[in-house]
Amino acid sequence: MPTDRLREELVTLLPRLRRFARALARNPQDADDLVQTAVERALLHAGQLREAAPLAAWLYGILRNAWIDEQRARARRGRLFAAVDSGEQVADATHAAPADSLAVQDALGRLPDEQRLAVALVLIEGLSYKEAAHLMEVPIGTLTSRLARARETLQAILGDTGIAQR
Amino acid sequence: MTYSEETLIAYADGELDAAARAALEAAMAADPQLAQRVARHRALRARVQAAFAPVLEEPLPERLLASVRAAAAGPHAGSVVALQPRARARWSWPEWTAIAASLLAGALLGPPLLRPGAGASLVDTSGGRVVAGGALARALAGQLASSQPAGAPVAIGISFRSRAGAYCRTFSLSEAGGFAGLACHEQNAWRIETLARAEPAPAGNGYRPAASALPPAVAGTVAELIAGEPLDAAAESAARARGWMR
Repeated sequence: MPTDRLREELVTLLPRLRRFARALARNPQDADDLVQTAVERALLHAGQLREAAPLAAWLYGILRNAWIDEQRARARRGRLFAAVDSGEQVADATHAAPADSLAVQDALGRLPDEQRLAVALVLIEGLSYKEAAHLMEVPIGTLTSRLARARETLQAILGDTGIAQR
Repeated sequence: MTYSEETLIAYADGELDAAARAALEAAMAADPQLAQRVARHRALRARVQAAFAPVLEEPLPERLLASVRAAAAGPHAGSVVALQPRARARWSWPEWTAIAASLLAGALLGPPLLRPGAGASLVDTSGGRVVAGGALARALAGQLASSQPAGAPVAIGISFRSRAGAYCRTFSLSEAGGFAGLACHEQNAWRIETLARAEPAPAGNGYRPAASALPPAVAGTVAELIAGEPLDAAAESAARARGWMR
């Protein structure tokens, strides 16, 4: 895809990329860092994208890889600077959001990475099982069992207030 | 019939086929407990979605917009094979030889397009000029931007009259590692004015690259040479019918 076209498409997809990143990262600042990394990598590799390929899925994949890289780097740093890192986490949880929103984000943050990714792709971004499994490079059965376990954990943390409101 | 939790989740996620969906809905109508289990899964999905929906409404941070707009520096700067927007002087022969040699030795030799049997090479340096050959020459002479054959190795971009009166056309080579260039019709051949590395053009879906999508080196040469506006489809067709003669 020509880079100029990609730039236009990127601007329209930025809100969705930010939402996806927000579900993965620990705070909005880290989330936007991920989006920025993904945008830079996408522009660098614009030539790899065929015109017909679904652009959003390609970008989700780039963002997911950037997130995994970041998780690994963080794990390495964490071994060296554990105290500093946990302090940073507390200090960053300051953005304003409705209480339930925060509760859900907190619960999501307690899921294992692979389950959080599955929830972000299917429940939040609305991808089909097939698309999400392809993007995560796992069989559909693996995806659905991750989703089932994630839902169980979320339900246990959050309770059933969602139903009571309905 | 008993339903597994995974089936109920698949229903909540919209993944059941029509028959399974209908059967489950009928079962739910007869079994409030089953309906309650499904409602739990749907409520959780809605709740998680709602928690992140406001992100879509947030104003986009300027730094992200800036990174989208950022000129692709570094790696891209290094990938322009050839020509800066040119000064008045034509390229000297040694420069052309170097460019052609790098093309022939590099990306253009690799693709199946250029292997023996697929036809002549795309760039012909015989006769002291750098002109289009093979599939590139055929496309420049015969292919219209408005009706590109599916899977064609060469995509034609815009066509225009140069200030000197010659017909010129931009092109991209989809399967040659991604090159774009500009050629002008001169002495019964297509003299290559500019050639630069670019993103591969998508093959066969009728997409017509605008001048703004060209690599800067090519766009710069177009801006320098063009007289008036690019040809529309009718003018392009008429020029082809005249064999691109002035």
